[in-house]
Amino acid sequence: MPVPLTLVLSIAAGFVGAMSGMGGGVVLIPALTFFGVDIKRAIAISIVSVIATSSGAASAYVRDRITNVKIGMFLEMFTMVGALVGASLTLASGQRALFVTFGIVLLASWVSLWLQRKEEWQPPGSQDAVSRWLEFRGSYHDEAVGKDVRYRGTRAYLGAPLMFGAGVVAGLLGIGAGALKVLIHDLVMRLPPKVSTTTSNLIIGVTALAGASVYLRAGLIDPGLAAPVILGITSGAFAGTRVLVRLPNRVVRLFFLGVLGILGVEMLVRGLRG
Amino acid sequence: MRRVHVDVEAVVGYTLLTGVLLSLGLIVVGLAWHWALWGTLQFDYTLPATSVGAFIVSDVQQAATAAARPRLLVNLGIGVLMLTPYVRVLVSMLYFLFVDRNVKYAVFTGVVLGTLTYALFVG
Repeated sequence: MPVPLTLVLSIAAGFVGAMSGMGGGVVLIPALTFFGVDIKRAIAISIVSVIATSSGAASAYVRDRITNVKIGMFLEMFTMVGALVGASLTLASGQRALFVTFGIVLLASWVSLWLQRKEEWQPPGSQDAVSRWLEFRGSYHDEAVGKDVRYRGTRAYLGAPLMFGAGVVAGLLGIGAGALKVLIHDLVMRLPPKVSTTTSNLIIGVTALAGASVYLRAGLIDPGLAAPVILGITSGAFAGTRVLVRLPNRVVRLFFLGVLGILGVEMLVRGLRG
Repeated sequence: MRRVHVDVEAVVGYTLLTGVLLSLGLIVVGLAWHWALWGTLQFDYTLPATSVGAFIVSDVQQAATAAARPRLLVNLGIGVLMLTPYVRVLVSMLYFLFVDRNVKYAVFTGVVLGTLTYALFVG
């Protein structure tokens, strides 16, 4: 694949991924496979680029004290093992199964986000003993409302195995699976949305690394393709984040749902047609 | 003497930032050098099926013994990128162990580090 085309696709994927909050992999893999790249190679390249985008974003969010490092470090024990399992499943799977799974995961994310589009974050009434023992609590300064927000996470015993599942999806499809992780943080562990998103970003790096180790061992990482993808997706994500902060939440959410729906249907159709 | 307080957020944040910037820098220089030499950004080579550890060790050995090449810089960039989350986990574990003295989280990060070490360098 020509490098200029790879660069353009990756910049676009990084930009759209950051604008929609899904990460670039969700856009990059359909785009690369559309131009003839084998889906397993596309997944392998994508998961390496996910390390760059998530680590770049996480470095800023962690220093801003929004990310809950302890919650992230506990949960990545589960996502990391999930990613090792998921990537191994990809190696054993057929091409069509991967296209169909990719489509189903995107459409399932679309449905769950559509159903909870009007829900507001509600802090948990009480904290269970396990989450208390795990020190699932914290505070951050919310610039939007100009005050410190204190919070406590709950149901860690349920969140942890679910995060294993999110890790399987991330490793299997070469994506950050941030939407899935945020859903678990939000709905199961009742973390504030900003803490959910930024903590998910921290976890994605280690999860992607675990998956990438499996793909490198299988000889699926092509540096000639990986290098422009890493540069393109990182710069696209940087630009997308700058635009994102200037847009109203409603526009971002609609954009998110639109991209997710189109790509989900497209991948599903390609998988079913063969 | 004034004690400087360092928290886990600063340690993790700057580790990630350094790793990503170093990696991107190596890839940019590698690609630019390749373009200056051959007039194209296209690299036509694939990596052998290998572990992350063997990949990085081989690149570092080549960097130490052979003349630097654009391809080597790109490989090192990808290697540094892959090591970034690993180093982040390592420094977090050391932080929880020696600075925060939080045994529980030192064990959790130790489990992550042990599993990653096996996946990247051994298994």
